[in-house]
Amino acid sequence: MDEVIWIEVLSRQRDVVSRQRVPGNALTIGRAYDNDVVLDDPHVAAHHLRLARGDDGRWAAEDLGSINGLHADGARRERIVLGDDTVLQIGHTGLRLRSSAHAVPAELPIVRATPRWPLALGCLVLVFAFALLELWFAETAEPKAIRYLTPLLSLAVIVAIWTSAWSVLSRIFTGHARFGLHLLIVGAGLLAYSVYEQATELGAFALSWTALARYAYVGAWMAFAAVCFAHLRALGHSRLPLKVASVVALAALGVTMQSLKLSDWRANYGQPVTLQRLEPPSLRLVPAQRDAAFFANVEALKAGLDKARSEEPVGGDEASPTDGDD
Amino acid sequence: MMHRACARLMRFAGVLACVTAAGLASAQALPPQPQPSAPRDAVPAAPVSAAAEGIYAGTRPSLLQIRTLVEAAGRQSSIGSGFIIGADGLAITNYHVVSQYALEPKTYRLEFARPDGAQGALTLLAIDVANDLAVVRLEGSDLPHLDFDAAAVAGELPRGERVYAMGNPLDLGFTIVEGTYNGLVERSYNERVHFTGAINPGMSGGPAVTGSGKVVGINVAKRLDGELVSFLVPASKAAALLERARKGAPLTLAQTREELDRQLLGWQEGFYQALDAKGLRETTFGPYQAPESAAPWFNCWARTNAEQTPKPRAQMDSSSCNSQSSLFVAEDIESGRAELTHAYVRSSDLNAFQFAAFVSQYYNSAAMSRSWSRKRLTQPECREEFVAPADAATAPVLRAVWCARAYRDFAGLYDVALTTVTQDRDREALVSRLAMQGVSYDNALALAKRFMGAITWTK
Repeated sequence: MDEVIWIEVLSRQRDVVSRQRVPGNALTIGRAYDNDVVLDDPHVAAHHLRLARGDDGRWAAEDLGSINGLHADGARRERIVLGDDTVLQIGHTGLRLRSSAHAVPAELPIVRATPRWPLALGCLVLVFAFALLELWFAETAEPKAIRYLTPLLSLAVIVAIWTSAWSVLSRIFTGHARFGLHLLIVGAGLLAYSVYEQATELGAFALSWTALARYAYVGAWMAFAAVCFAHLRALGHSRLPLKVASVVALAALGVTMQSLKLSDWRANYGQPVTLQRLEPPSLRLVPAQRDAAFFANVEALKAGLDKARSEEPVGGDEASPTDGDD
Repeated sequence: MMHRACARLMRFAGVLACVTAAGLASAQALPPQPQPSAPRDAVPAAPVSAAAEGIYAGTRPSLLQIRTLVEAAGRQSSIGSGFIIGADGLAITNYHVVSQYALEPKTYRLEFARPDGAQGALTLLAIDVANDLAVVRLEGSDLPHLDFDAAAVAGELPRGERVYAMGNPLDLGFTIVEGTYNGLVERSYNERVHFTGAINPGMSGGPAVTGSGKVVGINVAKRLDGELVSFLVPASKAAALLERARKGAPLTLAQTREELDRQLLGWQEGFYQALDAKGLRETTFGPYQAPESAAPWFNCWARTNAEQTPKPRAQMDSSSCNSQSSLFVAEDIESGRAELTHAYVRSSDLNAFQFAAFVSQYYNSAAMSRSWSRKRLTQPECREEFVAPADAATAPVLRAVWCARAYRDFAGLYDVALTTVTQDRDREALVSRLAMQGVSYDNALALAKRFMGAITWTK
């Protein structure tokens, strides 16, 4: 009895592009119209492939003398007996044979995933509230609505563009846009960053620990890298080590660039590094130093200055020919 | 407002900008027509111009134009004036006229040009950076020369005496300028004679002489925010340096920096000792008392933001005292200035965070100021902390930041700024600042300790 089989034409990603039902125990594949399966691939011969069922009931594929040949399991073959999942490559086209008895996985129930975007919006509302509070606390002139609206609007536009970009990527690679998930990632990332930024600024003052504010950008880059990683992970769980490596590289690059820029700026303009923002005195947590201790610390700076003096000027803003000689 | 004046005038090219800013460019642009000003009131004017004519004729042969040339190009990079003071060829000019050569003798050379067209090389013998003077020698003997005025050297020349400044302004030719001797500037640590007359770039280092042709001072600077407000170095300082140049070993050019270093260190030692001796006086700002120098040579100005529009939400009243004692060392480096500033800030309108943000702008902009040349100064090192007073009942906790940078060319000299912000009230603060230029670390520390210790309050 003749068995009915299905020939599946596959995409490069091995998705099924088309499926054709073919009866019989033998069939030919090629570009010519007298074939059982007709392909439009110009790299396929007019009569490229013959598939036939052997006496043992197993199908075999045979190259009919094409230029580009038949490839399967990673090598060129003249003839191959097909296994369950063997993919035949002719020209640029992938083919797979399925018998009608091929088992299919069980039906999946439809699960209503909890929508992510209410939580995402919640995060964003908090982010905006933080931003507003920060603007309000820095307000020393008459409050004007435009000074609050402009930054918030810019932030909203950036969030929208960023989330859309990731959704498009998501749609391309996974087939689902997952806008809610990407929005949640951005919202959570921004919220974490807002809290972190405020904490470092307040901490730098309250603990009299200037380095906290000075190197806060390192944490900011790490947060940025973490957000990027979360987005990449949402695109799929494949190649996670590669994704980790690329976001780590991104963070390292960002921190390096910013450090270089800061040190260059400092060398060019000689600006001292001090706290940029004072806070209300009541937020101070550390005890004040006695003045004698302060002046002892100040005296200790002298050695560093004298060392810097004996070194050559950093870079050269003005060539002075005699500097090297004396 | 006060010393926007780029009071140094000599580098022809460099100062031209200042000249233009001061509106002198318009005077230059006028066609050179003789102004019929003097003869109108004929009676007193005629003898004066006759006198000036005689003085000019008598003094002119002793005048010099002093040029600094770029060795490689052989062209002048700056010009000044000078005058021969002894038959042995010694001449006096300003330090700032020869400073390029003194600091970079391999890049520059010095030349003189006399009114009769004679030219030649100059040897630098001695410098006095505090009084902006230099002694140079030109080859030759029996040179026409000037003498110091004995009364001026003794400091007894009366105010109002007619004095004639001479030099080569803007490379236009040797010129005589009539003016008035107004004695020593009262509020100045460095002794300078106030001369009411027009001194222009290029005249620096030229002599100012009496009607009898005797030198009373050396042209040095003018104020750009006034008219005809010019300054001379007193003749006594020049006489002293001349004495030193005659007796002492001549300056070795390789050691100019060491010599400058020694002079600047010596100068600041004297300055801060004098400052210390004069003491500090307390000035009241709201509930706070803050120190100001009792020395007379500080120029103090108050500022308020009260009449700004829109009305500021925090009121700021500041007082800034400047020692006006800056010393020219090189085009891109000066030394010698001290500044004490207090800003009393309060608000009932802002909340505590907003008030802290308002105060921050005074805090972080105050750390270091003025231009910075990385060739001349190291990068600043800062230290900031909360500082508790010795007696918590009399003084508040302060947020203090100390920033210092070292002069690369001069060992032992630093620019230092100490800024403090009172930390006792949420919406009231005193921001105080002590800035010192070209100071030794010990003197800076000593004054800073006194300064910070004198910030007190009445609860």
